[in-house]
Amino acid sequence: MDPITIILGLIIAGILIVIGVHLIPVGGAPAAMAMATGVGTGTVQLATGAGLTGLVSAGYMYHFANVPISYVLLSGAVGSMLMLGITMLVGNVVYIFGVGVPPVSAKVKFDPITKYRQDIYVSPGTEGHGIPTVSYVSGIIGAFLGGVGGALTYVLLNELGISSAISAFIAIGFFLANAVLAAYNIAGTIEGFHDPKFKRLPRAIVSSLIVSGFIAIILVFATSGGVAL
Amino acid sequence: MIDVNTGLGLVALMGAAATIAGAAEDLESDIGSQSNPNSQVQLAPQVGVLHRIFNKAISGEPPAYAFYSSIAATVAWILMNVNFNIIAAFAIGAFVASIFHGIYASTAYIGRLASQRRYGQPIYLDVIYNHLPPIMAHGFVATFCILGLSYILWHYFEHPFPFVMLAFIWGITVGAIGSSTGDVHYGSEREYQNKPFGAGLNAALSGKIVTKAEIGTRSSIDNAWFCAKFGGPATGITFGLIVFLDNWRTLVFDQFMAIVVGFVIVALLIVANWLLEVWARKNYGPYPEKLAMLEGGA
Repeated sequence: MDPITIILGLIIAGILIVIGVHLIPVGGAPAAMAMATGVGTGTVQLATGAGLTGLVSAGYMYHFANVPISYVLLSGAVGSMLMLGITMLVGNVVYIFGVGVPPVSAKVKFDPITKYRQDIYVSPGTEGHGIPTVSYVSGIIGAFLGGVGGALTYVLLNELGISSAISAFIAIGFFLANAVLAAYNIAGTIEGFHDPKFKRLPRAIVSSLIVSGFIAIILVFATSGGVAL
Repeated sequence: MIDVNTGLGLVALMGAAATIAGAAEDLESDIGSQSNPNSQVQLAPQVGVLHRIFNKAISGEPPAYAFYSSIAATVAWILMNVNFNIIAAFAIGAFVASIFHGIYASTAYIGRLASQRRYGQPIYLDVIYNHLPPIMAHGFVATFCILGLSYILWHYFEHPFPFVMLAFIWGITVGAIGSSTGDVHYGSEREYQNKPFGAGLNAALSGKIVTKAEIGTRSSIDNAWFCAKFGGPATGITFGLIVFLDNWRTLVFDQFMAIVVGFVIVALLIVANWLLEVWARKNYGPYPEKLAMLEGGA
């Protein structure tokens, strides 16, 4: 694969990761006390957990003989969606049966997917709790994009002639760099694509374009300049 | 490649190891009070609530467990290369990781509480002595199981990633899961058990955690006892399901069907979540005070 295609591919992968992270519903520390809607952990932590699970699936698929690249990308997406899907589901089980609160969003009056009313189910003094359907679906789409982004990074690095172990290592770093960019943009909590914070996405895409492009150029120079990786 | 029957047994073993690892990880983070609920433990002395809860947010759980698992896997890898028994190598690797864990836990506790001197929060040496062994032991169990499932994936399923990197990745994943599922039980319910069941924490009550136990003063070991009934097993089941389902579909089906089955499982998960939401809305109903405020007052 020629270097320009690889640079462009890595930029696309970075942008996919950034969009994916924006779609994953995270409530940070407040969500751990059922004070905010979303999964009760940090943005980077959850996105990286899902993305790297996808990377394990994609890496496994890539090393079968004659497997199409689309299978590798989709395998990464499925691994990532499974991780986030099961985590969000059990998270809701804990909210509903362990804390006794229904999943509800405080950012919208009606869930855009189910049309269920939200505001009267928000417990007093909180900004929502749990993962309602709209956030769940948003998270699954986010995991899909993040998984494809991570898998694409891994495939392109392999195509660059880097060993699979080092490719995975760089892909983890590349994923984290883009996830942290998105986390700065999100600033703590986001409920999904219906959250007003999602409108901040364009500036994260521009940032990712610069960061991913810079990393991609360095990688291409490093490998074509005879640096053994 | 191994045959499907042996492979299924190994995938089941990986799922079992992951279940134990997830439960142990969550309970360790409850005893040590790591992750997001620790924000309340950290805040408590500032609002006048002095406590005997352990306080060690060394880092987020995913990087912490990636770190312990990588140390353990590196030590185990070195020992395996000098023909050590594999199980013994895992045990020694996990033991070395637990020593690092203990060092970080004790310095984090003393450092954090020393910074709260101005609020009158004492540093209890007996809290360190009592809590360090269970913290290290639960960390040991979690790390040992992660090494086991990483080894199966790397050795028997011939995964192209190195053994240490697989342990690193599963460490990140187990930390992310523990932080997302079981810790909610600790943060939302156990820390505020004196508040009525069925509501999130009112922001005005932040930091006012429960400090009294059933008898005497509450310690973090009491918290692990409570969370072991629900939060810990829930975390274990989550990690076990992820490891089992992700590897089961790639083992049993061909490459295309493995992807299709993955999408079908995800679709079922979305439906399950929706059913759960409907059940909760129907059984819990809206909050009367919200209803009165929004509809009666309008």
